Amino acid sequence: MKIFDHDRAGVASALTTFAPIIPGEEETVRELIEALPQGEESPFARLPQLHCSRLHILRELQYQGGGQKPDELASSYLVFTSSYDGELDDYLDTICDEIPEEADSWWSHCVAYPGTADRAAFKRYIRSHHRKTSLFAAAYPPETVQSVRDALELRRRVVDFVVDTQGLSAAELQRRFDETFAEAV
Amino acid sequence: MTTAPAERTAAPTAPPSRNPGNVHGRMTALTLFSPVRLKWRPVQKVAFWLGKYVPLAQTHILQFDFIHYVRWTVFRDFPYDGPPQPKRDRLNYPYLFFESNFDGPWQHYIDAFAYCIPGDIRFVWGRGINFPGPPPAEPLKRWIAENSREGGTYYQAFPNTGVKEVKGALAVRDGLRRLVVESKGLSPEEFKAAYERFLHEVQHGL
Repeated sequence: MKIFDHDRAGVASALTTFAPIIPGEEETVRELIEALPQGEESPFARLPQLHCSRLHILRELQYQGGGQKPDELASSYLVFTSSYDGELDDYLDTICDEIPEEADSWWSHCVAYPGTADRAAFKRYIRSHHRKTSLFAAAYPPETVQSVRDALELRRRVVDFVVDTQGLSAAELQRRFDETFAEAV
Repeated sequence: MTTAPAERTAAPTAPPSRNPGNVHGRMTALTLFSPVRLKWRPVQKVAFWLGKYVPLAQTHILQFDFIHYVRWTVFRDFPYDGPPQPKRDRLNYPYLFFESNFDGPWQHYIDAFAYCIPGDIRFVWGRGINFPGPPPAEPLKRWIAENSREGGTYYQAFPNTGVKEVKGALAVRDGLRRLVVESKGLSPEEFKAAYERFLHEVQHGL
């Protein structure tokens, strides 16, 4: 991990890529990504280190008025953002291992996309289309997806314990606590 | 391709009924992409550097317990991969790409931004072209409605768990770990007192 890594906040990393869409294929890729299943059925749910991700198309720029010299894009771009745990290389490996067909289905509509089958080329492609983060911040920077999941599960067990042990003697409470939470450290 | 600004006197855009591509469960991704005045860019660079390396600034950025992850990325040149891409897109201004992942619809929180941290908002976006620096909040809401990028698909690992809930669970975990360590060798009465202190300390996280 680099010391001056602006793509990093604690254990979390930010990836922001802009991939030019092949002219004429914008509508196909829009329909494809908007038809992706959501929630647990989403392909992104198969990436265990992924906190959040968005995939959308940047086609137009909002004119601000007020004397702005208008900007226009010659291409449409498929924008992919992720907040994930750990290193980019590992994250891209997970994409290649877990969702190769889905990743190819949307990026194959982008110019010069090499596909996940050539893993090294895929990684080069993603890195070269990444725009470095100026500032990235996380609400709970030391925590991974798994540690948050574990903490939520542990809290549920504590709530159950509190309800189940109401009215017990001090000795019985201590015995039940040791039995239930000895492995919590 | 350019979209003209909507009539600025119009009411803020209501969330569309169909999935707008930036909502999953209770979570929303707000994505904005707006130009920055060239002469303001060096100041903004310093501000982002301070935001990264000054601990107080980090705390300040995340003072509201509803933002999970937030990023700012500034660039002017888009990737060029050769034909059939028509040409290299180089914009007249650097553009600020902003993405915030937070609990609930953004309309609920703009008042907090507009009235609690108006200086921060104006500092980051206020030198953008024609940006309606808060307060008041209504022009800012209209500007966000105009500039929010819609469509696509969005995923959150914990779509129905807010930041406060996550932080509460982490506090319960940390308190429980301390209790397990510190309660070793205590008498039953001493343990019960320590257990009740633990519950008192973490009650907001339960």
